[in-house]
Amino acid sequence: MLLLPVSGCSTSGISAEELIVTGSTTLLPIAEVSGEMFSQRNEDVKVLVSGLGSSAGIESVAKGSSDIGTSSRDLKDEEASLDLYDTPVAYDAIAVIVNPDNGVDELTSEEVRLIFNGTYENWAELGGDDMRIGLVNRDEASGTREAFYKIVMLETPFDRKAAVLPGTGQVRSVVAEAPGAIGYISLGFVNDEVKMIAVDGVLPSEETVVSGTYPIQRTLHFFTVGEPAGDAARFIEFVLSDEVQLGLVREAGFTPITEGTD
Amino acid sequence: MNKRLANRIALATLYAAAGITVSVLFAVIVYVFINGIGQLSLSFIFTWPHGVNAEGGIWPTIVSTLYVTVLAMLIVTPIAILAAVYLAEYAVQGRLVSTIRFAADSLASVPSIVMGLFGLALFVEALQIGFSMLSAALALSFLMLPIVMRTTEEAIRAVPKYIRWGSYGLGATKWQTVRRTVLPAAMPRIITGIILATGRAVGETAVVIYTMGQAINLPVTPLDSGRPMTVHLYLLAMDGINLPAAYGTALLLMILILVFNLGARYFLRRSSRRM
Amino acid sequence: MTEQPTRDPIEQSVTGQQAENAPPGTHHGELRLMSRSTYIREAALKNLFLLCAFVAVMGVVLIIAFVGWRGWPIFAVEGVGGFLLGREWNPTDAIFGILPLIYGSFLVMAGALVIGTPLAVGTAVFLSEIASPRVRSIVRPAVELLAGIPSVIYGFFGLVILRPLVAQATDGLGFGAVTAWFILAIMIVPTIATLSEDALRSIPNGIREASYAMGATTWQTIYKVLIPAAAVGIIDAIILGMGRAIGETMAVLMVVGNAPVFPESISDPIATLTTQIVMDMPYASGDHRTALFGMAIILFVVSMGLVATVRFLSRFQTRLDGR
Repeated sequence: MLLLPVSGCSTSGISAEELIVTGSTTLLPIAEVSGEMFSQRNEDVKVLVSGLGSSAGIESVAKGSSDIGTSSRDLKDEEASLDLYDTPVAYDAIAVIVNPDNGVDELTSEEVRLIFNGTYENWAELGGDDMRIGLVNRDEASGTREAFYKIVMLETPFDRKAAVLPGTGQVRSVVAEAPGAIGYISLGFVNDEVKMIAVDGVLPSEETVVSGTYPIQRTLHFFTVGEPAGDAARFIEFVLSDEVQLGLVREAGFTPITEGTD
Repeated sequence: MNKRLANRIALATLYAAAGITVSVLFAVIVYVFINGIGQLSLSFIFTWPHGVNAEGGIWPTIVSTLYVTVLAMLIVTPIAILAAVYLAEYAVQGRLVSTIRFAADSLASVPSIVMGLFGLALFVEALQIGFSMLSAALALSFLMLPIVMRTTEEAIRAVPKYIRWGSYGLGATKWQTVRRTVLPAAMPRIITGIILATGRAVGETAVVIYTMGQAINLPVTPLDSGRPMTVHLYLLAMDGINLPAAYGTALLLMILILVFNLGARYFLRRSSRRM
Repeated sequence: MTEQPTRDPIEQSVTGQQAENAPPGTHHGELRLMSRSTYIREAALKNLFLLCAFVAVMGVVLIIAFVGWRGWPIFAVEGVGGFLLGREWNPTDAIFGILPLIYGSFLVMAGALVIGTPLAVGTAVFLSEIASPRVRSIVRPAVELLAGIPSVIYGFFGLVILRPLVAQATDGLGFGAVTAWFILAIMIVPTIATLSEDALRSIPNGIREASYAMGATTWQTIYKVLIPAAAVGIIDAIILGMGRAIGETMAVLMVVGNAPVFPESISDPIATLTTQIVMDMPYASGDHRTALFGMAIILFVVSMGLVATVRFLSRFQTRLDGR
């Protein structure tokens, strides 16, 4: 998400209306790039996107300082009273990946947690070859790490001896090369250089994500006050279009929300 | 052991040391060249990156790099040259001069990340210039200052005394002498120093990452933010999804550095011919 | 500020071009004593130049002031000992001990020096004592160019080329001190080599000739005569190389693996002071951010200390030489 251009291609519209989108940094790539595409086609609307975190997004849309609040988590109990309208825009599923030569195919989410907190140190303890486990973690600013921390680690600490890499592609290529390595990346970035682990017996795929059987996933939301209307509705409609869902959403490593609806 | 044999072995080792040093240089250059050349095209240089993985070109990062470098050069050159004039022509050895030299040496060895945090604290936050070309250029100029100062001072000292005598003999004042004879005579070597310092600024990452911002933007005014090529390369390399663009950026960066170094060498050669 | 020299400056002054270039009407009066206004102008200019030279001092003072101002509170929060000697760096739980990071910086620097110094001093000796002028005119620019290559490119090279090789050799991930050693060693070679060469070349030729006249071989001359004679210069060069190694950020960041712990082996992920600053800056706030500035204070103090050491050694040598 650090690779985004700030919408620097200025739109020619002089009195363009502003559509303010605030919230999750995880959703920043989708919101920003689709906002830019949207502005290019609808020169009367300028989409202004900022990533301040999900809570800030929910608060800001509820207060009316933004038109759309983006969030990588569901509403908390205390936020339920805000009466926000929820439009799910994508799934963020996280695949646990190992080297293709690793004999282990399947782990429980408990085992994954114990691997990442340093309890297991050798693949032999998990039915694999006698090989040291090489932990690859993401940096603390990463949304993927945040999700993994909540869903898998249940908010308990990671092993601090793990290598910390600030990018998905690096995690993937390190795991692809080092026989004992294990890491996690967004499902959309998995390629055949690495092997996905079936967690609790379920291999991640767009089907198992949409059906909700794959455990390590979360839904990404756009929140509006009441049902979206006007420019906000047009923008959300654009984000839900096949062009964004099958293009941008997949490029950003997420799973399209529209896949299972037909 | 036979002293001749010992001599041979030792000399072979020294050859090897120099050989390793030079071959490492070539390995790095050749590696970047081979992997980057396929990526290089006019559209890579002149278009914007787009999409979530920064496909396309790197034009705004090139502009940001050149913008901040030129700005830093404009800030640092007059100050550094006049400072060097003071040290070489006016100063009397003493506590003041030795303080200035110690400060310049310290500045030259400040870790670049410290300079980056300093720029963030002073220019971006305290002076509220924000993430901008100006903040980055100011931070960079502190890094370039000692380099330009030192080379300029050496250049001025290398100007033969008799040139000054000629000027004084004609009745020129000290400043007239410096301005009209000493500085012109020293100019090629001064330019060499400026180019070398500028090359350093082009390749700098840690200083600019916290002073210029990281969002891709085409800077127009000095108060605009941007992302230089080095930061772009760092982010591409660490993200690891779009490596071809990383190689392309690395190659362009390398070419810029080579141009600066060869340029510096050209001016240096010209000056040694003249003297 | 000054016009480009369009012709040989020597010729220019000797043939009297100088007078032609002077502002009209002034060159007659210059044979007289300086006029009052000229005197004032000259004095004002001198002070302006002094002011410019003082910008360097101002820079150091500003760095101390602003980095110090932002980082100092952490010493109050954690205590100097708690901060410097704390064995755990864990910002999530607000534990800010930087000993593992200091250890990481030291480990990385020490290994790089062990690998880089022989290479650099060897290259310096080669350049000053063995290479023909022709060979030297190729090798010396190459060494200088090595210094000009941006550290992100070294880091990138280390990440994509060196790291996988280390991974294969050690059965680990390839992130760790070893990888950083090799990358940093390359990066400090130019610093040490060029400064050492300068030290060697400043030895008067008579000393070499005396040694050869006694029947010494080139190697005997080098290690019994020249290296001892240039020792202080070479040590200075190594100290400055040390500074470069401790302060290097991007290249190290890309290959150490960024785990802020005491590593079990040299091929396990570690973090250094510089790398932890870059990793944490994007999300740090409050005491955490203050601690990062506190680490910058440490780095600055160390680098100034090294520069001061070099100055002290040089002064020491001048005194010895004078005797």
